[in-house]
Amino acid sequence: MSATSMMMPEYLILATLLIAMLGIMVSRAHSTLPSWLGLLGSLGALWATVDIWTHHLKPEVLFNQSVSIDTYSLFVNVLVLIAAGSTILLGWQAERHHDEFPVLVLLSALGMMLLGMSANLVTLFLGIEILSLPLYILAASHRNSLGGEAGLKYLLLGAFSSGILLFGLALIYGASGSMNFTDFASAVSSHSPILGAGLVLALVGLLFKLAIVPFHMWVPDVYEGSPDSVTSFMAFGTKVGAAVILLRFLAYGFYLSPDSWGPILGYLALLTMIVGNLVALTQNDLKRLFGYSGIGHAGFLLVGVAVHSVVGARAMLFYLLPYGLAVIGAFAIITMISNGDNNVTIDDLRSLAYKKPWAAALFIVFMLSFAGIPLTGGFIGKFYLLQAALFAHQPGLAVGLVVGTFLGLGAYLRPLQAMFRRDGQDQALAGWNVNWAQIVVLVVAVVGTIGIGVYPTPVVHWVNQSANFFWLH
Amino acid sequence: MVLVWLLAIPLVGSILALASGDRGAKFVAVGLSLVEIVAFIVLLAHGPVTLNAPWIPDWGVRFHLGADGLSMFLIGLTTVMTTMALFASSPAYPKSYFFWILFLEFGMVGVFESLDLMLFYVFWEVILIPIFFLLTGYTGSHGRATAMKWLIMNLVGSLFMLIGIIAVAVLHAQPFGTLTFEINQLTHVPMSAAVAPWIFASFFLAFAIKAPLWPFHGWMPDSYSEAPAPVTALLSGVMSKAGIYGFLRIMLPIFMPQMRHYQTGLLILAAIGLVYGAFMALRQKDMKMAAAYASLSHMGMMALGVFSLTEAGILGATFLMVAHGLIIGGLFVVLGFTEERTKTRDIAAMGGLNDDAPRLAVYFLFFALAALGLPGLPGFTGEYLIIQGLVAHDMVFAVIAGVVLVVAAWYMIRLFQGVMQSVRQGPKIFDLSAAQVGYIGTLALLVVLLGVWPAGITSHAAPTLYHAVHLLATKGGAAS
Repeated sequence: MSATSMMMPEYLILATLLIAMLGIMVSRAHSTLPSWLGLLGSLGALWATVDIWTHHLKPEVLFNQSVSIDTYSLFVNVLVLIAAGSTILLGWQAERHHDEFPVLVLLSALGMMLLGMSANLVTLFLGIEILSLPLYILAASHRNSLGGEAGLKYLLLGAFSSGILLFGLALIYGASGSMNFTDFASAVSSHSPILGAGLVLALVGLLFKLAIVPFHMWVPDVYEGSPDSVTSFMAFGTKVGAAVILLRFLAYGFYLSPDSWGPILGYLALLTMIVGNLVALTQNDLKRLFGYSGIGHAGFLLVGVAVHSVVGARAMLFYLLPYGLAVIGAFAIITMISNGDNNVTIDDLRSLAYKKPWAAALFIVFMLSFAGIPLTGGFIGKFYLLQAALFAHQPGLAVGLVVGTFLGLGAYLRPLQAMFRRDGQDQALAGWNVNWAQIVVLVVAVVGTIGIGVYPTPVVHWVNQSANFFWLH
Repeated sequence: MVLVWLLAIPLVGSILALASGDRGAKFVAVGLSLVEIVAFIVLLAHGPVTLNAPWIPDWGVRFHLGADGLSMFLIGLTTVMTTMALFASSPAYPKSYFFWILFLEFGMVGVFESLDLMLFYVFWEVILIPIFFLLTGYTGSHGRATAMKWLIMNLVGSLFMLIGIIAVAVLHAQPFGTLTFEINQLTHVPMSAAVAPWIFASFFLAFAIKAPLWPFHGWMPDSYSEAPAPVTALLSGVMSKAGIYGFLRIMLPIFMPQMRHYQTGLLILAAIGLVYGAFMALRQKDMKMAAAYASLSHMGMMALGVFSLTEAGILGATFLMVAHGLIIGGLFVVLGFTEERTKTRDIAAMGGLNDDAPRLAVYFLFFALAALGLPGLPGFTGEYLIIQGLVAHDMVFAVIAGVVLVVAAWYMIRLFQGVMQSVRQGPKIFDLSAAQVGYIGTLALLVVLLGVWPAGITSHAAPTLYHAVHLLATKGGAAS
């Protein structure tokens, strides 16, 4: 296979980006043309990914070992494209006045896809930056005063963490003499202190992107201040990008010394699961709630990395899908309720079950999936992570997972109970706008969430194939 | 295939109830629950049956359903009590209420049918959700807090059981290499002394909270008193049996050495619950609370039967589960009738109701007598077998159980006297309507049938339990 056809999804996204920019120049302002182009580009890239998966399933390392196209990167492509497509759909109405919205989303998605296939330090850093820069702009694009704060906060902290990451990568390069993850082995086995320092700094940079406690401070404010659709993209896409590169970076480069990073990540995962879900309990703003609970979910993901086993890798990869589907579904409901300027709070959901029963029913499904209740995808994901923790003889992580789940459930139940309160029945909803784009997202999310919960077999099978790289260092 | 139908009918019914109008929902739900009873009769005619299909092959999780002597009658209990609860529900409830009731039936049938631990856990948690919403959406002023308490206590148990389930499967997989969650394959899992108590505790906690056994009953008084009467009938009549069923179906085969080891402690726990429930029932002013604590006491009785680890005791517990389900469910329905008419639950504010409502009084008396274990009614048969098992194991607990039977007569008679006899105060009330007599009378007939023909259940259940008791001899027998 040639490089062109293996990279087809990425090239398609790149081409879509350029065409959409031209489209913005020629079409009148606020038209839906760029959004349509972005959506078609995402679907085309998704189709190309599936085509490579089904017909040319042979891993290839391209461009002087800087990218590795394998089942892992293809699975990441699917996740990222679902995130990007749903973000464009969710922003169909609300973000119309930003013509560049779909372009920036696709550019960020391209960075995430690059992270999925990255096999050396250059593409790692490029991926992180391509992911982040469009998000800085998107975060600041909200009309209200919080938007500017969110964008600036994200930019400053993000740039700071990128600097730390870059410094770490430079030290790793200095110690190992190579950019490729797979060439670190000799330096790792000689216990180079410079390499150790580099690893620590690089981990800090990556954990910042994944929003692991104590590097999570930026999340709630940025989520709160960003437009709803952008927040859903950050909650889903950014986590995918950061988690998959963390896994490949450690599994390819540092598989010889799991004892030097596994326990630290394990403790951080414990801390993150507890703190994230605990603080989520006290939130009233739904976006802040999802921000903190997203931190908790990042802790769950980190369990899969910390156990350093093939089951862990599979479990982490699996967990991203039901989590992401629940995120886009929940945010679809939020964009329906939101009146544009103010954020949706738990109070706004009062009596929703009597006013809009179907929206309430779907919201229940997504909340239960977040909480990990059976017959939703979230439960299967938690089940897989628990398997990973127990196979690795880490009962502490298993208990942490369960306690985190438990705290998280409390946080998700508060909006649900508000929906069943009867005292808000006579108040009209602040804003209620539904368009076909949100319906599409909702259908995808609910079918996926319940489908994975009831019959997870195909997804489990794909994920098991995707994590096979774990054995092919 | 009938096993799948038993699951599919309530699930489809719940969706139909949601899709129908608010007025038609009760009609649809009752209709589907009657179809479910027909499906159960087909199962009964067919005899024990299993269904085993792959579900998630990569993890060795199988869609393994079965109905045998132990679970078949509990499935029957679920179908009968769900129908009773639906009949007794006010048609004024919104359709979501009927959706949740049928969804609850789906979950409970699933719990009783599952023979794969993972599948069992899925249904085990599925039943949490409908009950949470039934408690939160349709009840009195404390509904939300009650629902929260219910969910939190039950989730603490079940989430730790999830760790336990996976730990058992992982321990089984490590010497042999393949993951499996089938209960009958996990019976010989090698467990080291360091982990066995923890795994045992994780399962025990889940089942003890669900039953509930003392001291894990914190959710029970609030939930039973806050829920609408039909829901309370389902909670106490069917859902609580899932806890005892878990002991029989899962803990006896997998944890027999640990059960042996902790037997005295478990018996003491159950005995405390038995006595505590009985005396709490005696001093309640609220008639629903009195019945709730009576139910707690009965759960202690069943647990005593299971923990006696004798054939008679376990058989008695199995029988009493079905009998108690019908009786206490019927009692809560009758209490619901009474509350609906008097608008109060305070025993002191009632009295003399039998003048106005003789039919109501008859059924009240019937279920009260059945609950106190009158010979000739099924409660007696179950308690007799349990005490027989206790005598075989340890005389002390048999004596305690016997004494509590006397207290049971006391608190039930007191309840009946307080509500139905003495001097009437307050306005005149209406007696039961013909339709109400129709369904509560059918339930009473079922109870009588079970009382005079207990062998209908015990002869089926005994061969199934033989397996558990056989394990007792081979696995735990050596340890004791």
